[in-house]
Amino acid sequence: MDNTGISKYTVSFGLSLALACVINGLMVIAKESSPAVMTGMQKLSGHHWVTHSAIVLIIFAGFGWFFARARGGRGMEMSASRLIRTLVSGVVLGGLLIAGFYLIGD
Amino acid sequence: MNELILMSHVLLGVTCLILAVWIFVDVLHASEANLARIRLMSRAAAVAMWLAFVIAGYWYVFFYKADKTVILKGPWPFAHNFFMETKEHLVIMLLLLVTYLPIAASNNLAASKDARRVMLWVSGMIAFIAMAMDGEGGIIAMGVKAGLLAK
Repeated sequence: MDNTGISKYTVSFGLSLALACVINGLMVIAKESSPAVMTGMQKLSGHHWVTHSAIVLIIFAGFGWFFARARGGRGMEMSASRLIRTLVSGVVLGGLLIAGFYLIGD
Repeated sequence: MNELILMSHVLLGVTCLILAVWIFVDVLHASEANLARIRLMSRAAAVAMWLAFVIAGYWYVFFYKADKTVILKGPWPFAHNFFMETKEHLVIMLLLLVTYLPIAASNNLAASKDARRVMLWVSGMIAFIAMAMDGEGGIIAMGVKAGLLAK
């Protein structure tokens, strides 16, 4: 654990969460805008939403693990304030992408 | 049976919301005395959310189509076109946040103000988004009702 009192996993999975939220929003736009993407996601698991959820969860777990192994296993260093800003920004941006698309773009 | 499946997902979602608020308040008063409880409640919230998500996903994939037809033919098509469409994707972010909660709770919240701040923001976002999801679900249900009444 670093001097901030938050573990490397708190940082790594926090960053991964922010990233996954943004990718979640972008995936919504991609699959709703492209029939080919929607069909592809449908074929992978039988339902586009199941595929979508699985991809986002894998991204969250995968990048969380990856970021935790950065810097020779010490994980990524970040202040709590910056982590919180990144977390909140990722969630807000992801939400805006989704709501904005269905409100305006769809 | 369909209705029981649907209602169980709502109950589990509300359970997650209540636990998020519980955790928020407990973290405000974090000490060695309540650290174990905060961690236990964080895991409980994650379990409740995962169950809610899986149950809802099952219902959505196999049973929602009939409701969707009713909504789209009724006076509230926005109940599906906006509220269900956003809910099914926003809830994935909620799942990530609740899954992350036990990770954030594993820090020494009693000793670290930074760790407490992370927990407060995460549990706060969970409570807010869970409330929004509950509201969206209510509108979707009303969309079905409005569609049936209009027949």
